[in-house]
Amino acid sequence: SELSKCNSLLSERTTQMENFASNLEEIFITVEENFGRQEQNLEQHYNDVLQTLSQRRHERITALQDEKKLKMEALYGELLSCGRALDASKELIEKAQDLNQEENLKMPISLDFVIPSTDFSDVKQMMESINVVPAPSAPVMNPQVSNSATASTLRVCWSLFSDDTVDFYELYCRHISEDSTTGTMQEVPSPPVIREQECTSCSDAALIRWDSGNTNPVESYTLELSENSLSKSSVTESIVAIPTCECVAQLQPWKCYVIYVRAVNIGGPSERSQPITISTTGTFFHLLRETAHPSLSVSADGFTMFYLDEDLPLSDIAFSDNTFASCVAVLGDLMPVRGQYYWEVEVDEQTEYRVGVAYEDTQRSSYLGANTTSWCMRHILTPSRHKYEFLHNGWSPDVRITVQPLRIGIFLDYEHGTISFYNTHLQQHLYTFTCCFHHFVLPCFALDKPGALSLRNGLAPPCYVTQTARPHH
Amino acid sequence: MNTDLFPSSICYPFHRSLYLKVCNKCNKLLGCFLARRGAMALTQVSSSKCCGGYQKVFEHDSTELKCKMKFAIYLPPKAESAKCPVLYWLSGLTCTEQNFITKAGSQQAASEHGIIIVAPDTSPRGCSIEGEDESWDFGTGAGFYVDATQDPWKTNYRMYSYVTEELPRLINSNFPADPEKMSISGHSMGGHGALICALKNPGKYKAVSAFAPICNPIQCAWGQKAFSGYLGPEKSTWEAYDSTVLAASYSGPELDILIDQGRDDQFLSASQLLPDNLIAACSEKKIPVVFRLQQGYDHSYYFIFSFINDHIKHHAKYLNA
Repeated sequence: SELSKCNSLLSERTTQMENFASNLEEIFITVEENFGRQEQNLEQHYNDVLQTLSQRRHERITALQDEKKLKMEALYGELLSCGRALDASKELIEKAQDLNQEENLKMPISLDFVIPSTDFSDVKQMMESINVVPAPSAPVMNPQVSNSATASTLRVCWSLFSDDTVDFYELYCRHISEDSTTGTMQEVPSPPVIREQECTSCSDAALIRWDSGNTNPVESYTLELSENSLSKSSVTESIVAIPTCECVAQLQPWKCYVIYVRAVNIGGPSERSQPITISTTGTFFHLLRETAHPSLSVSADGFTMFYLDEDLPLSDIAFSDNTFASCVAVLGDLMPVRGQYYWEVEVDEQTEYRVGVAYEDTQRSSYLGANTTSWCMRHILTPSRHKYEFLHNGWSPDVRITVQPLRIGIFLDYEHGTISFYNTHLQQHLYTFTCCFHHFVLPCFALDKPGALSLRNGLAPPCYVTQTARPHH
Repeated sequence: MNTDLFPSSICYPFHRSLYLKVCNKCNKLLGCFLARRGAMALTQVSSSKCCGGYQKVFEHDSTELKCKMKFAIYLPPKAESAKCPVLYWLSGLTCTEQNFITKAGSQQAASEHGIIIVAPDTSPRGCSIEGEDESWDFGTGAGFYVDATQDPWKTNYRMYSYVTEELPRLINSNFPADPEKMSISGHSMGGHGALICALKNPGKYKAVSAFAPICNPIQCAWGQKAFSGYLGPEKSTWEAYDSTVLAASYSGPELDILIDQGRDDQFLSASQLLPDNLIAACSEKKIPVVFRLQQGYDHSYYFIFSFINDHIKHHAKYLNA
C-alpha cells in the first residue's frame, strides 16, 4: 500500500510538474509576443522620428534658400542704384571741373583791373628782409674727448646757441706742420707750467691744472699722458683742444702715469711742460691753504697741520672770505667726481681734532660739524676719558670707544651716500654717516686745541673698508 | 624604517644607530652615519623658504641637557653650493628659539652676506625639576648660559657646554657649515652669554656683538639670583661667567666687540645691565669696543630689528674675511 501511495504521490507530482512546464511555456510565449509587439512599436516610433527630422530639415533648407534669394535680389538692386549714383556724381564732378576752368578763365580778366599800382614792391622787399632768419652765432668747439680719433679719422664736436636756427655746418680743417717757422705765422707759445699743488687724483681719474705762462696768444692746450715705463715714455693718449687751464683725465686704477701739457696756437704746439707723475693707487689731494684759519700752519710738504700755542700778532691775522674764521680748520682739494675716496689721518693721544668732509661753501664762521654742510668725527679729551663725537648739524650719537684710534681711516662713498670712520690699527669700524650729498664734498681737518695732525694720502682703501661698504652676493 | 616617528626628518633612523641622511628637497640619499645613542638624530619641526634660503627649526635629544631641545637655523642661498660661516644667536630671558627668527628680521642680511644663523632655546625644558617654572628669571627660559654645579640643576642646566660644544658639533656635522668660521651674538641674557663665550674661548669666535647685554651679572639682581641658584653661594665661582671680570683678564687674539644699547631701556635704568663697568674694564685692557647708546630705544625686539643689519655686517667683516 505504501508503494501505491508513493506511486500515486509520484503521479500527482508528475502532473504538477507537467502543469508547471506548460505554464512556463505559456509565459514564454506571452513574453515573446510582448517583445515582438514592443519591437514593432519601437520601430514605428523610430521611423516617425526620422521622418519628422527629415521633414524639418527640408523645411529649413527651403526657407534658407528663399531668404538667400531675396537677399541676393535686394543686393543686386542696391548695386545697381550705387552704379547709377556713381555715374551721377562723376558727371557732377566733370561739370564742376568744367565750371572751374571757365571760372579760371574769367578771373585774370577781372583782376587785371584791380592791381595796377607797383608802389608797394619796395615796402614788400623791406618786409621780407625783416622776416629773414638772422645769421647764427659762431659755434663753440668742444675739447676733444679721449678715444675719439684714429690714425685717419677724427671726431669733432661743437655746440651751438639754442636761439640759433642752423641749416648746415661747414667744417674747415688745416694741417699744422710741426716746423711751422715757414710762412709768416705766429710764434709758437712757450710751454705751460703745471701747478702741482693743485693737481688731485683718485683711482680712476686725475684733475690736472696749469698756468699758461705765455705772452704769446694760446688757442688751446693739449694734454699728453703716458704710462710710466722706464723707457723714454711714448705718448699713449692725448687730449686736444682744451680751452681752459684744467682738465680731468680718465685713468686706469693701479697704474702710474706721466703727464705733460702743451699750449697750441696757429703757429703750432709748444714744447712739453715739465711732467707731473700721477699714481692711481688711491686718493691724492693737497690742502687748500687759502681756506686755512690764520692760526693753522701747514708743513713744507703740505701734509701736516699745526696749531701752535702762541698768540699771533693781530697784524698777522688776516681773514679773507674764504678762510675759516673761528674753527682752526682747513679744507682739502678733492676731485669733483662722484666716486669712492679714502684717506687717513694720523693723530697723537692728546690731539683734539675734527676730521671729516664739508661742502666747499660750508660756513667759514661756524665750527665743523655744527652745521648741515659738514660731517665730522671729533675727539675731546676730558679729565676722565677720551670722548668721541660724530657730529653733523650740531648733533652726535652717543658712542663709546674703548681703544683710542691714532690713525683714522676715512672712506667717502658717493654712490652709497656714506662717510665712514675706521681705526686702521684695529681695522675697527667706528661710525658711518648716511646722507645724500647734493654737492661735491671736500675733506676737512680742524684742531680744537694746539697740536698737530697729519694727512696720509695716496693709500688704497683696505678691503675691510670696501667690503663692508657693500654686501657681497 | 619608522617614518611615522620622523615625519619630515632629513635623517631617518635606519637600523639601531645607523642613520640615513636624505636631502629633504629631492629625497636623494646624501650619506649615512652612525649616531651615538641617537644624539645626532635631528627632527625637522618646520621649514619655510625665506629670502632665497630656508628658515628651519629642528629638535634633537641633547646629551648635555638630557632633554629634547629645539633650535632654529637660517640657511642662506649660498649654503646650497658652499660651506658658510655660522653666527650663533643667544636669546634673552623667557625666549625660545622662535623670538629671534620671527621678530629680529635678520634673514635678509644673512642671505646677502651668506651667513648661517643658529638660534638655540634659552634653557632645558620639561625636566620636571622642582621650581623650574616658578619664576621668569630663573629656571625654564633663564639658563643664563652657565654649567650649573648645584642640585637639582646640575644634571640639566648646562647651557654653556651646550652652546659652545654640543650645538656647534651638531651643526658642523649636519649642515654645510664652515667649522673654522663661527661668531656669536645675543640679546640681554643672551648678550651676556655671547660675551662670556667669546671671552672664555679666545680665538674660537671670529667676532662678537651684543644688544643690551647683562655686562656685569655678579653686580645685578638678575645675575645674583641666577648664579646663586645654579652655582651656589661661593661668589668666586661666579666670576668665571661675568664678562666684566673676564675682560679684565682676557688675553688672546684681538676681539672687536660691537654693543648697541637703548637709552630708554628700563633694565638699563634699573641697573641690571651695567655696560659702564664693561666699558671701563675694556678701556683698561685695551679691548676694542664700539658701544652705541641709541637714543629713544628700549629693550625690545623693535630695538634689535633696528640695528640687526649693522651687527650682521660687523660679523660678516670677520666671517667673510
